[in-house]
Amino acid sequence: MTGVIGNRAARVGGVEIVTGNARYVGDLTFPDMLTGALLYPDLSPARILRIDATEARRLPGVVAVLTHADVPGLNRIAYSDVEDQPLLVSEFAQYQGDAIAAVAALDEASARAALAAIEVDLELLEGVFDPVEAMRPGARRVWPDRSNVHEHLVIERGDVEAGFATADVIIEGEYTTQLIEQAFLEPEGAVATLDADGAVVVYASCQSPHRDRRQIAVALGIPENRVRVITPYVGGAFGGKDEVHVQIHAALLAQATGRPVRLIRSREESIRTHVKRHPIRVRHKLGATNDGRITAIQVEAIGDTGPYVNAGEEVMSVLAATASGPYNIPAARIDAFTVLTHNPICGAMRGFGIPQGTFAGERQLDKLSRKLGIDPLELRLLNGLGTGTVLPTGAIIREGRPMKACLEGAADNSGWRERDDTQREPAPHLRRGWGLAATIFTVGFGRNVPDSAGVNLEMIPDGTAILRTGAADMGQGAHTALAQIAAEELGIELGAVRVVKPDTERTPDAGPASASRTTFVSGNATRRAAAVIRESLLEAAATLTGLPEGELHLGGGYVHATGERVTTVAEAAAAAKNANLPLHADGFYAMEFPEKYREGDYPYQHQVFTFGTQVARVLVDIETGRVTVEELTLAQDAGRVINPDGAMGQLEGGAAMGLGYALIEELKVVGGRTVNNSLESYLIPTSLDLPPMSVGLVEIPEPMAPFGAKGIGEATLTPTAPAIANAVADAVGASIDDLPLSPERVLAALEGGSS
Amino acid sequence: MIVSLRINGEEHLVDPYPDATLLDTLREDLGLTGSKKGCGTGDCGACTVLMDGRAVTSCLVLTATAEGKSITTIEGLSTGDEIHPIQQSFIDFGGVQCGYCTPGVIMMTAGLLADHPHPTEAEIRSGLAGNLCRCTGYSKIIDSVNAAALLMEEASE
Repeated sequence: MTGVIGNRAARVGGVEIVTGNARYVGDLTFPDMLTGALLYPDLSPARILRIDATEARRLPGVVAVLTHADVPGLNRIAYSDVEDQPLLVSEFAQYQGDAIAAVAALDEASARAALAAIEVDLELLEGVFDPVEAMRPGARRVWPDRSNVHEHLVIERGDVEAGFATADVIIEGEYTTQLIEQAFLEPEGAVATLDADGAVVVYASCQSPHRDRRQIAVALGIPENRVRVITPYVGGAFGGKDEVHVQIHAALLAQATGRPVRLIRSREESIRTHVKRHPIRVRHKLGATNDGRITAIQVEAIGDTGPYVNAGEEVMSVLAATASGPYNIPAARIDAFTVLTHNPICGAMRGFGIPQGTFAGERQLDKLSRKLGIDPLELRLLNGLGTGTVLPTGAIIREGRPMKACLEGAADNSGWRERDDTQREPAPHLRRGWGLAATIFTVGFGRNVPDSAGVNLEMIPDGTAILRTGAADMGQGAHTALAQIAAEELGIELGAVRVVKPDTERTPDAGPASASRTTFVSGNATRRAAAVIRESLLEAAATLTGLPEGELHLGGGYVHATGERVTTVAEAAAAAKNANLPLHADGFYAMEFPEKYREGDYPYQHQVFTFGTQVARVLVDIETGRVTVEELTLAQDAGRVINPDGAMGQLEGGAAMGLGYALIEELKVVGGRTVNNSLESYLIPTSLDLPPMSVGLVEIPEPMAPFGAKGIGEATLTPTAPAIANAVADAVGASIDDLPLSPERVLAALEGGSS
Repeated sequence: MIVSLRINGEEHLVDPYPDATLLDTLREDLGLTGSKKGCGTGDCGACTVLMDGRAVTSCLVLTATAEGKSITTIEGLSTGDEIHPIQQSFIDFGGVQCGYCTPGVIMMTAGLLADHPHPTEAEIRSGLAGNLCRCTGYSKIIDSVNAAALLMEEASE
């Protein structure tokens, strides 16, 4: 080991960022570049009676106005099997984010003028806004020919009836979570240009460049090898750029005009259009014996996915697959409904269904704890899963130790067992409380879903290397981690590895940067590519030094034998080249499922998990209802940490997002339309809103993972909201089962008393 | 209307639309794209620059009103070959994740440290309260600012 893995590493590209030289998509310019813009409906849901762009097309400075009739290929965002979202709508404006027309003009002002000049007649339709109502027989339909219940999936294991029959206590609760905006700092954008041969080049702030390529090609009606997607620096995504946003529209405009087109969403347009975190209603029934052992759970989750399915089905699937939490529960029945409405579209957002399910599950555990008089920590330790536990999906936990290690770690670091009951009322109007929540998180897409990544690695005889990855770095630190893995394996310094950002003509397909999979899947691919080159280096070094290959080690730019530097990696690389040994290699890895599929298993089960626990200490002002988090203590299972700075950033950043989820964030929807479409009205935590955080990492390496490292980017926000809600309940003796924990809700709960 | 601006020490004459903001002028007319547009409404702070030494959100400044002002952007923070201690600290202390807020945060830090060379944590937190970051949870940003203050103190000794 050279010590690249597990040591603090400065972010790859950091110098470019801090000097302002890093180019994000909105920073790109090309000669003759046009400004693109999209027209959105003033009313929705609505039937489209007429779209007339005649006047708009005549305006000075306007180069093109496209409507649905101008899409040469498939007029759909082809995200998955369900291709239900038009790129440019023709019949219905189902929600506020539907694009009606696309404009390219010489400048922003001309583009805006063109949008205003497009005549659109809309007939407002009665909308479907309540997902529970939408499920009732005879309810008004979002689509004339489709059920509002897009998907009802069931996961069942064990004898649930018998489980409840043997229970001494039953806890039943209903929980709701709110619509959440990713609020990445860089709004979505794309720049499309044409190559000399007419191929379309799209620069996009995105998470899934290779999938975008396919979708662009299908819409433009051209072969996929004539589309090139390049991902420059990406200013945050959190799932909100997993699906295409304006890439295809920009490409259509470039194709139509023959000129480069830059299409950047305003903040208002960004909030109006892209997929969000699902609001979900969870009904949860839990049975337990008097000594605290859970005997059965029954969970029903209803997710409002909006008018287009997008990743809604997958989100609900992941919620269902993890609804039993990190516990050993002998019997479970989980029903998850993906429901269509005319509300904003929901899809991928950091956490992907697990935060909503965890909120319900962890509130339930706390209610059980209160009912039985068993400490929340002890109750979780008692029921916590271990190695060999079978989840409701049929997945067998291969390594269960991190679960309880996180519980113990967070408890120790927060002083959980030494909570000082004399401090519960620090002032007449203040109440202090402690709350704890534990979670399970999944890594990768799950069984029966394509989940692979390729990389290309090249060792240069001067001792440097180039890593070409199709995995996007949206700020989560993927490129730094992958460069560290390459450096470690090739025995060179991190600074000697140059990372080529995703470019579908230069970098292999790594799949989407989502599902906490990049470190795992692309990391393994990087190791495999490096192994080929490493073998060349060792063979060449053995010849060069006359020492047996088995005695040689690579590290820090040198070849070592029995602790001595015997030559450099650069010399070994040069020798390898002269000896006709390979110095570049493709690495490919596909997610593995060591446990065979058995009858009754959930077909999309995961087999790699991470665990985490967070403890919150809060103060509640019982006069104003205001909740202040005094301290957060985090313990997260990482398998192995590749870059401590990156891991800490993910932990603290995740908890910050979780705190916003718990207390202040809510995208308000009235009649299907969001009302707080700005960062002034949709509040995310600022530097003044966050408490001190104590962060602990649990490292028990996962054998299948590169150096044992699992993905942690999403897991870290999952326990925060339930930990805070449990702390509020502990402080005031009243239960709030709806997010966010607004002052109004806290006061109402205080008036309503304990639940 | 011709407006004269002193940007990063150099005189520039620009001819903006009457409603052009300083951010538009920097990015679109002068190619200084280091200042970022996160909202255009002064809520996120990604476009922060120094105007006569004071940190301002450049998306709220009309270019016409900046006549004769001295503007420092992220591109002009470091004058020599080496990057500025604030920039170095953000690299060394994990203050950068996606990086989109970073130029604004660094310029706000430059303004803050000019007024408070030894800021307390409370001063840093309130000084940066107008700069949104969705990635870091701010802890590493606070660490970076503290480190920068120390580095700058050492450099001035």
